[in-house]
Amino acid sequence: MVSAIYIIATGLGAGFLIGLLKDDRKGDAFFLAVAALAAMAWISVSWTLALTAGVAEPQQIITAGVQPPFAINLRMGLAEAGLLSVITLTGLVSAFYLRPALMQLGRRAAAVLVILVMALSGLVLTRDVFNLFVFFELIVIATGGLVLLSNDKRAVAAGFKYLVVSQVISVLLLIGIIFTYHAQGSLNIDDIPAQPMAFTGAGLALFLVLIALVVELKPFPANGWALDIYEAAHPGFSALFSAASATTALYAADKLFAVAGPDWLPLATGLGLISFLGSNILALAQRSDRRLLGYSSVGQIGLVLVVLGQRDILGDAYLYVAGGILITHAIAKAGLFWLSGLVTGRDLADWAVLRANPVLVLAFASFVAMLLGLPPFAGFYAKWDLAHTLVAADRLPVLVLVLIGALIEAGYLFRWFGMAMKRKSAVAFPGFALDKVTAVIIAMVAGWGLGYIWGAAGAHPNLMLATPLAFALLFLVLEPLPAWAKNLLAIAGLLGWVALRYPDYDPLQLVFALVMLAGGAVILLASFHVRGRRLGFYPPAMLMYAGLAMLIDAQTSFQFFAAWEILTLGSYFLILRGQDSEPHALSYILFSLGGAFAILAGFALAAMGIQPFALVNLAAIAEAGLAIAPWVFVLLAVGFMTKTAAIGLHIWLPGAHAEAETDVSPMVSGILLKAGLFGLWLLLIYMGRQTLWGVDLTHVLVWIGALSAFLGAVLAIFQEDAKRLLAYSSISQMGYALFGLALMNHLGWLLALMFVINHFVYKSMLFLAVGGVKERTHTKLMYKMGGLITLMPFTFISVLVGIIAMSGVPPLSGFGGRWVFYNAIMASDLRLPMVLIFITGPIGFLYLFRLIHTIFLGQLKDEHRKLREAPFWIVLPQMLFVAFLIAFAVLPGMMLRRVDAYIATITGDQALTWSGRVITSEFGYWNPIAIAAVIGAIFVLVLALLLAINHNATRVKQFNIVFSAERPYKPQTTHFAWNFFAPYRKALGFLESPVVTTFWGALTDSLHASADFARRIYTGNGQTYALQVVAFVVAVYLIAMGGVS
Amino acid sequence: MYLVAMAAGFLLILMGLYGALTHRNILRMIVGFTLADSGVHLVLVAVGYLPGRTAPILDSAVPLDEAAQRIIDPVPQALVLTAIVIGLGITALMLAYAYRLFRTRKSLDIAEFTELKW
Amino acid sequence: MTSRFTLRNVAVLTLLALLGVAFWTLGSGYTPDAELNRTAAYYAQNTASEIGAQNVVTAIIVTYRGLDTLGEVTVLFLTAAIVALVLGQTKAPRGSSGSGFLPSGELLTTGTQMLLPIILLFGAYVFVNGHLTPGGGFQGGAILASGMLLLLLAEPGRRFGHRIISRVESLSGLTYVFIGVLGIALAGGFLDNRILPLGAFGSILSAGAIPLIYALIGLKVGAEFSSILESLEETEDA
Repeated sequence: MVSAIYIIATGLGAGFLIGLLKDDRKGDAFFLAVAALAAMAWISVSWTLALTAGVAEPQQIITAGVQPPFAINLRMGLAEAGLLSVITLTGLVSAFYLRPALMQLGRRAAAVLVILVMALSGLVLTRDVFNLFVFFELIVIATGGLVLLSNDKRAVAAGFKYLVVSQVISVLLLIGIIFTYHAQGSLNIDDIPAQPMAFTGAGLALFLVLIALVVELKPFPANGWALDIYEAAHPGFSALFSAASATTALYAADKLFAVAGPDWLPLATGLGLISFLGSNILALAQRSDRRLLGYSSVGQIGLVLVVLGQRDILGDAYLYVAGGILITHAIAKAGLFWLSGLVTGRDLADWAVLRANPVLVLAFASFVAMLLGLPPFAGFYAKWDLAHTLVAADRLPVLVLVLIGALIEAGYLFRWFGMAMKRKSAVAFPGFALDKVTAVIIAMVAGWGLGYIWGAAGAHPNLMLATPLAFALLFLVLEPLPAWAKNLLAIAGLLGWVALRYPDYDPLQLVFALVMLAGGAVILLASFHVRGRRLGFYPPAMLMYAGLAMLIDAQTSFQFFAAWEILTLGSYFLILRGQDSEPHALSYILFSLGGAFAILAGFALAAMGIQPFALVNLAAIAEAGLAIAPWVFVLLAVGFMTKTAAIGLHIWLPGAHAEAETDVSPMVSGILLKAGLFGLWLLLIYMGRQTLWGVDLTHVLVWIGALSAFLGAVLAIFQEDAKRLLAYSSISQMGYALFGLALMNHLGWLLALMFVINHFVYKSMLFLAVGGVKERTHTKLMYKMGGLITLMPFTFISVLVGIIAMSGVPPLSGFGGRWVFYNAIMASDLRLPMVLIFITGPIGFLYLFRLIHTIFLGQLKDEHRKLREAPFWIVLPQMLFVAFLIAFAVLPGMMLRRVDAYIATITGDQALTWSGRVITSEFGYWNPIAIAAVIGAIFVLVLALLLAINHNATRVKQFNIVFSAERPYKPQTTHFAWNFFAPYRKALGFLESPVVTTFWGALTDSLHASADFARRIYTGNGQTYALQVVAFVVAVYLIAMGGVS
Repeated sequence: MYLVAMAAGFLLILMGLYGALTHRNILRMIVGFTLADSGVHLVLVAVGYLPGRTAPILDSAVPLDEAAQRIIDPVPQALVLTAIVIGLGITALMLAYAYRLFRTRKSLDIAEFTELKW
Repeated sequence: MTSRFTLRNVAVLTLLALLGVAFWTLGSGYTPDAELNRTAAYYAQNTASEIGAQNVVTAIIVTYRGLDTLGEVTVLFLTAAIVALVLGQTKAPRGSSGSGFLPSGELLTTGTQMLLPIILLFGAYVFVNGHLTPGGGFQGGAILASGMLLLLLAEPGRRFGHRIISRVESLSGLTYVFIGVLGIALAGGFLDNRILPLGAFGSILSAGAIPLIYALIGLKVGAEFSSILESLEETEDA
């Protein structure tokens, strides 16, 4: 192994050597710089590899041939090696990225760059506190120089502000260092003994050192100077400033906090939390991309500072957690800054130009996911472990604040991503420089690689090795193939997976697997109608299916949560593809992540630090009657209900489902919602009834279910948009299912299961039908349609069958559902919500009637005369569903019987008796075949009667009516389908008032407004920034001192 | 003796910072920081002082075996040299920046360079 | 500038007063050591045998804390380079009035011619004797550069060999790093001065590589200061 001292020697040597060159030999200077950086990177990486593999021991490097503390010493351990690799590699890639700017500025700039990387490395390596100061100042000066690489005229002022603040910091640092030396008689960091937090003598000296190092981390709100650098500097340099400088500064703080002892850790935690939350909130109001990245950097470093504050409880996991977040952040942020160099406009929406290159879109998505700690990236594992440790050590408030901050960060990052995907690009496509694109790709690959390493290194299963996920990721590589080929492979994959796993599933898993995966394959049939390559569809779709497959298989809480986040992420990208889906996709992902965080907290609370935590252990917690049990229940239930869109958490659903593409709507409605039900199901099976403050929580769920069912239906009847109508109907239907589950009896569960199947079938069918209509009419508004029955007969049939099934009218399966349902509520003693549910039935019928009436019956619009039936591939799955519905109606026992028996093993009773084709319950019996026969007979009879009297009817031509002379101002208002249920609106309209939407809207608006107001503290005046730093230090001093005394 | 030096040092720091934080003229700010730097250096040296001892040079005045009893702490003296040089570097850099800023706007008022904010 | 007693001033005063409290606590709690602490005591006892330098401060600067000093030299190198970068981008418009074109006067010119060799000699003396007497590379380098300043004042229009200055600067830096690396190969570690014999304690050729390093530092510092001065002078602005 080459000693790490050569990193420093090489950097310095190269710097001085470049100084020897003639002014005009810029190319040679650049070459020398790159060679030096490559050598430094090689040393760092080889150390990292050797230390990880265990073939090398951490090395203590002495200088001057004298032992520490009498001479400066360096240390090369795993943490150092890893960070050095990040620093030097970022430096190397940035050097290539900065090449044109370096060439323009001359050879000196190349020397400064190499020395900057050298100084950053030195800061990581050194164990001497004064030496730390020297390297810090080198970094400051080099930064001051490299800011000039920017073409931005404002960069000079930014550089000056930075120098001003650095002066303040160095004053504090030096005073702190000299008094620490006086107290300890040594400048070696390892000689500083753990100190109680005190504000006299050695304690105060240590405080000055620590606070100076913290200020170096650009903590909110004393960080205007750093934000200016982020915004104005060359993106290649900002990448270095964020990925390398911030990382290094954090490590420097870490060294001192490590020796200062546990007393000081709350200081780190507190300052980190303020920084993480404050910076993320302020970022909400930001429109400039690079400044936004600056805010995000500050926030993320704050987060790592929080982790640093937990080193007393993290123990051995400290490096894994802190490193996971820190390095992932470094890679993602470097990548994003490099990306920003490809975008010519500085507004967030200008990132729309990236759509010209799918690889860059993938990179952008990957970086966002990395920053937010989503799977399968390294930050995900770190986030999971952090949450568990925090809960186990009774630091729940810290976890809550961290999760809130992360959610806010997700808010602006996903909003940005949505803008990039959906907005029109205001700037012309500049053409992408290959070297810059290469830098971005390197960062992306590094991030994925790091995810793999973290997965392999930790105690958890490596997500990237999970077959479903690997299969989904395969589609990233297959993107150049035509859509039909990918579709074929996707269908084969889904069916193959079900076939493979089939023997191991219990009946419950089997039902969900059939619905989610096999059902997904059926819906994918509709995707054959899309021609071309359909870029960006299959990876997210398969990501969602992978998540679902993993969810069904999950044994431990970790697997479950990872699967949950994967399917959330995949479905988000899928929903975002819709035409006007930008705001809806955003609210979807925010609600989902909020829910996911609740789940995370719930699992962490349940596990109490023990890993891995098998899901069945939830039952043990419930049985033991622990005080946390109801809280676990609440957190998990809330998390799952965000996915089922229970009322109150539903506002994302209508837009997300309605705006999605034709074949995506059934996926996210028919399939995705079931993930929430699956979770609720497991929760109720394992934890049963929980009581909090004397309230039976399942009763709360019953109420939520009933209200969702009722209000969802009410809202559905007033929709003009056919897909929105179906979307609201989903809220209602999921309400039914939740209601059934929460009844906590055998029949209730059976009911919920029937809803799982039925809702999937008829909602998928209806969404496909309406989608097919939309493909032809190019509208989703029902009053713009009418009379399509003759033009689109197959679609009509599927809608007809769908609404019969859904409204619970015999003979189709919906009736079976209703029958079980009425039996279930009879068996329960909750009367009031039951009434609500009863009322919902007819309301459901109203909106379904409207659907078929206004689209297919009535008068044909003039412009629709030449319409054809929906595309074959969209009709095909509908017909399959029709066939299934009929079969399921006649032979419900096929599936239900096994499940019924399975449920009986859990509830321990047998509510239904199956004899032949007849099913008997406590309250009556149901013979599907007989019912079908009776209904069929009645239908034939009525039909015959109608045909018999038909000769009296007069055929009317479409325009055989008299219009008045006046042309109405809004023509649609004269259409009968407009405001179809006006009388009901008079009666029930108050229920429609958007209370929930207003609530969430007010919440986000007030956050935005306060962010916009608060960010004015960054006046842009360098002196004010310096003043803020002093004020920050004094405030922390006073508060911390107050805390001690 | 050391107390006078130390108090003077701290006072210089505070005076320098006051100047740097209240004067809007960039050059005056730089002067303020230079003042504060000098204060820091003074404090540094004061910390190494031991009453009644001599400079850490082992010449004829200080017998080798009595060195530990005769000389003052040499470490702060070494540190202060480094600190001075670094302070000088930063001051030079700030002056260069000040010149550059002046050229762009013909003004040395720090409050005028606020295009980057919020 | 009229100094008004604004809100800002009050805020600054308050904050600094509070900071002053912290300093006051530090200062009032400070008691000087009665004995050297263990680091200082080690230096006092072992400098002569380990390093062979009479001046303990020099031993610390060049050897024990050599890495700091290397960093320090690099600070100056960086500063010189960046000042050149900062100012290089903003050459004053041609023909603008500047001190550069005013004659400097007979007295200064003649004085410079007389003093310059002495100044240079003195500078060299200071850094060559750095391990024996107070002074050393930085001080010597600064003295060298003051000679340069005098020259610049005397002949403002003249351009000095940029090339030579930057060669001296870089070569001495490079050699310094090389000597440091030699320490790993031939002695106990990076920047170990014992790659050369320690020699007779108190003589000019003693203390191993220290005189060599200090000479290099002296040259380098002199060159760097000169380079900064030149960059500043070349702005040609009054």
